[in-house]
Amino acid sequence: MSRILIVDDEASIRLLYSQELADEGYKVDTAANIAEALDLLTKNSYDIALLDIKLKNESGLDLLQKLVKEQSEMAIILSTAFSCYKDDFSAWLADSYVVKSSDMQELKDEIKRLLARKIAA
Amino acid sequence: MNFSCCWFNPDRSPLDCPHIAEGEEHLYSAPRKRFVEKCLNCNWFQHDIAEIPESDPLKRIVYILSEEYKEQKEHLQALSAFLTSKSREIKFLHELSLVLQTSMELDEVLSVAMTAITSGKGFGMNRAFLFLIDRDRNLLVGHLGVGPKDYEEAWRIWDEVDRSNFSLKQLSSEFYKSRIDSERAKFQEILEQLSVPLEDAGHIFNRALRERRTMQIDDGFDNPEIDQKLVRTLGVGRFIVMPLISRNRSIGILLADNFVTNKPISPRDLQSMQTFAFPLAFAIERASLYGRLQEEVDKQIQANRKLQEQQELIVRMEQMAVVGRITASIAHSIRNPLTAIGGFARSLLRSNNIEERKGYLEKLVTEAKNLDDVLEEVISYSQSLHPEMDLWDLNQLARSVAREMQPLLDEKGLSLTLSVKEEIPKTLFDYKQIAYCLRSVIHYLTGLIPRGGIIKLESSQKDNIFRLSASDSYTRLTAIEKSELLTPFLNAETLGEGGGLALCQIILERHGGTLAIEDLPEGGTRYSIILNKEVQV
Repeated sequence: MSRILIVDDEASIRLLYSQELADEGYKVDTAANIAEALDLLTKNSYDIALLDIKLKNESGLDLLQKLVKEQSEMAIILSTAFSCYKDDFSAWLADSYVVKSSDMQELKDEIKRLLARKIAA
Repeated sequence: MNFSCCWFNPDRSPLDCPHIAEGEEHLYSAPRKRFVEKCLNCNWFQHDIAEIPESDPLKRIVYILSEEYKEQKEHLQALSAFLTSKSREIKFLHELSLVLQTSMELDEVLSVAMTAITSGKGFGMNRAFLFLIDRDRNLLVGHLGVGPKDYEEAWRIWDEVDRSNFSLKQLSSEFYKSRIDSERAKFQEILEQLSVPLEDAGHIFNRALRERRTMQIDDGFDNPEIDQKLVRTLGVGRFIVMPLISRNRSIGILLADNFVTNKPISPRDLQSMQTFAFPLAFAIERASLYGRLQEEVDKQIQANRKLQEQQELIVRMEQMAVVGRITASIAHSIRNPLTAIGGFARSLLRSNNIEERKGYLEKLVTEAKNLDDVLEEVISYSQSLHPEMDLWDLNQLARSVAREMQPLLDEKGLSLTLSVKEEIPKTLFDYKQIAYCLRSVIHYLTGLIPRGGIIKLESSQKDNIFRLSASDSYTRLTAIEKSELLTPFLNAETLGEGGGLALCQIILERHGGTLAIEDLPEGGTRYSIILNKEVQV
């Protein structure tokens, strides 16, 4: 079973994503900030991390850079309410960029695509 | 003896005197004066003295007196001519100094100078040519020529000048206004032909500059040291070349001749012209410098205008960027709850067991409330631009907000102490907006202070300054953090959370006040809503 880490400061979004992705058959953990995320990453291994960019007073992009260096096997999806970060060079480090939407199909498709790529590799 | 003079001959009347001219009739009745001014030069008087017998000792004495008187009279006349010349020189220098004081325009200075050289009321030369040094081209360039081109024109101009009876100042003014361009055009060809490279050391122009002395040439056509092209172009062999030097800096040269009358240039004229060469050089240099300065000023003005346009462009771009940032912030603040609302709703729709996911309905309500808060904040921002001012009691506002915030404080495990200065007079402000500011400050503090912490709320007033302060004893902000707190929409997360201190700052500025964030000496930070009654809008 593929394992996904959701990092988002919005409790409602964490709940929604974890429920929806669990329904899709994934094992999901959630973190509200960078410290929680790093803690989970030391304990578990994930196939995909779903990162929000704005994390209260922290930046998901900082975590992204750290994960790219230290968790190269893990695919990373940036998920944000901002569409403008697509132009941010830091955001290009991620494997995918998804703008938050109540229709989560795009997110689910991206997760499937990245998992398939990982298996093929 | 046969006397001829009117003094001795009864048949001769003073009225017959051939030396008394029109306008000197007063001499008929003033014998002493008539004798001094006329008789000693009169042939009849001389004849009568010659008639005195040699034996008469008075004859010798009268002869000596007569000769001595004539000699002294010639001296006086020479002195008078000298004084007249000096007077003319002083008058000219005075007029030139006036121009120096009043004009920064090179052409105006040159108009006075060239008119003075060529008019009968000045030095009376027929023509004058000015050559100025062009250091960029290393050339002595013909700049201006003044005077008649031929005999006919000379007589016409002189006739006009005679009839006009203009003063030197009037003549130069008229020249400056209406003739300088035509004169320049008239001599353009000659001026171009006579321009001289500065390295042509043997040329009389360069020699005059190098030796710093006026050169008078009387035999130009036969003088091997004079460039024959110069003499042929001028058409005269008699001219003077005067160097113009100001503060040891060569400015140019002035050439003057009597092309029409061919009148010799007297040493006195030469001396007078040399006297005015220095102030003329100074005036030309000053006007040239001013002209260049004016050019630089014009360039500076142009540059400033461009800079201002660029700044305005930057401001417009910044305004557009702010609009973009506001839009993105609002979009972000709306999208999060909207994603949750839509997502939960879809999930509920798909679910076969709604009862199991009943908790989602609570989330829907919470997120809808978040959307309301975002909307409220956006509306507050737009309303902040137009405060509705009225007289309100600041203490009453503090108490009311404190009560309103109590549930949040309880939730966070915090307490609030209120210390108000009683009898603060009512003052003008928009109650809703200032209440929003105080709520925002308290809300912001609740996010920073650990459970069990205390927020101190105080009111005070001194003269026209009204202050509402909320402080804690835990936090300390850097200067950058303080600045970022007051920058609008820097952090989109604040939208809808009541933490928009930047919006408070805008509101307070609209009230003529400010939001001050200060470190407390004993630790902690104080956030003061300051209203200034004096500058209230």
